[in-house]
This record gives sequence, structure tokens and C-alpha cells, in this order.
Amino acid sequence: MRIFDLLNEQLISVSLDKADKQGVIEKLVDLAVTSGKLTDRDAVLQAILDREKLMSTGLEHGVAVPHAKTSAVSGLVLALAISREGIDFQSADGNLSHLFFLLLAPVAAAAPNIQTLAQIARLTGNSEFCESIKSATSAQDALEIIRRAEK
Amino acid sequence: MNPEGPIQKILLYVDGSEECITAAQYGVALAKETGAELKAVYVVNISLLEELVKARIFIKIEEMDYQQDLEQDGKRYLHYISEMAGSKGVSIETELVKGVVNKEVVKKIEEWHIDLLVMGELEQIHSRTDTYHDEAELIFRKAKCSVLFVKHADAVERMFESLE
Repeated sequence: MRIFDLLNEQLISVSLDKADKQGVIEKLVDLAVTSGKLTDRDAVLQAILDREKLMSTGLEHGVAVPHAKTSAVSGLVLALAISREGIDFQSADGNLSHLFFLLLAPVAAAAPNIQTLAQIARLTGNSEFCESIKSATSAQDALEIIRRAEK
Repeated sequence: MNPEGPIQKILLYVDGSEECITAAQYGVALAKETGAELKAVYVVNISLLEELVKARIFIKIEEMDYQQDLEQDGKRYLHYISEMAGSKGVSIETELVKGVVNKEVVKKIEEWHIDLLVMGELEQIHSRTDTYHDEAELIFRKAKCSVLFVKHADAVERMFESLE
């Protein structure tokens, strides 16, 4: 399961700045809307916020992976937003988050959902990749960095 | 069962993919033709869930929730394959297990003395790391029996439908 296969330029923002946690999530959901697979934007937003209430998906090393399974999507949807300055996402290590991977999955897609999350974890576990994509200047650039990292 | 035949016990590897359904159709046809005993296994990928908890992407309650989802999916796939085999008069024994997928399948091959593993076409390999994480690829490499990959879904389906 490649991250590259789930993304396109419309699903990526490389200029996410001056936002709070709620703003980041809303921006990610808006990117996800471009996939055409969301049947109810507000329900998706609520599903993500409900998950964040349990515990922040802000991980270590500047990475956050907000995710939800919801009946408001018709297929797996991935969106990526990048902030060079960093945003407080209540991360596990208390540092600012720079890379935000949003994953939405239909209720009946447990296996591909889990496999994609695992692939995100592997990819972002590579500090070289994180540094490289953090400095992406365009969505096209970010896509190319991901393609190379998964090669 | 033909006691002299080269294939006595066939195992179908079920992972929920379309490819594994094609493989199951072929396996059923092969069992019918050879009289071999037919079994199917689905493995709930516990190790991947643990990996996500370790990475802090999942919290414990999500791990349990997704484990239930995977179990239900596995039961549904195995039931579907049982019905499929039954519709062609072939009996099949199915089992759902939990653990590291490739290790559990290899264990079942040994435990059940399987001499042919039937599985769907492998996914395209994009990188070296794919070979470490693709469970089907790992099963193929570790299985201590012959492995048959089934291709050409349309042709297999036609063949399966024509079975009496």
C-alpha cells in the first residue's frame, strides 16, 4: 500500500501556517473534499474531532496523523498538509507539528486502513524523509519526495 | 481423495482481496478435480495493530475496535469461500487465527501437512521495503510447500462457473 498512490496535488498543501489545531483539521478535511469521496464534510470533521478528544494524534518528531473511520466516505482518502513554522497539535513530545497526514476510511475497510496507517508510520519514522518533505516548495515537489521515499 | 495423487492437501490463503477470491475459485476446482482435501486460513494481523499502538497512532481502544473489525471481515470472507466451495460440492475446512500473518500461515502449512498453497497474484513490488512488509510475498518465500499463484481472474471465473 503506497502513500503515493493515494495522493495527488489537490490533496496536498505545503503552506499551512498560522493555524490552530482546529484550523489544521478543517484545512485537511477541505483538502480531502477534493477527492470527491466525502458524502458529508461535517460528519467527517466531527469524526476526526471525536478521535482527537480521546488522545491527540500528534506524534513525536513533528508528525501528526489525524484519522477516522466513518460512513461519510466512499473510499480511502489521504490528505497531507505541511507547515514549516510548526503548529501546536498537542503532540506526544510537546513539540510543534509540521507534517499532518489525514486518513479517512469507510467503516468496512479495516485492512487497507490499517496498512496505510502502518505505511505512514514507517515513512515518517525516517527523519531524513521528514526533513526533506518539510521543505517541499510545492505539492508536486512533496509528491516527488514521497515517490522517491517509497521506491 | 486419490491416495496416489501428487496433491493431497490444498490450503487457500485468504486475505480479503479480490485476488484471493480468484485463487479460491481455482483451489476449489483443483480440489474437485484431484479429490484433495481443501482448507482455508485467514489471519487477523495482530502485529500490524501492535505496530500502530507502538507508533502511538492507535490508542488501546482503537486497537481492540479494529481487531474486532478484522475478525468480522475474516469470518465473512471464510464463510463466503465455504459457500462457494459448497456450491460445487467440495467440502472445505476453514480457520481464523491471530498473529503475524506469514508466520501463522507457515505454521498451518506444517501443522496440516499441506502440499500445495494456493494464493492470489502478488501485488507489484515498488521498493525493497515492500518485500519486508508484504505478507503474501513473505508467505511465498517462507512456505515449505509448493505455491500456486492464480492469475487471469476472468478466465478462472468462467472455469469455476462451468464446474458441475
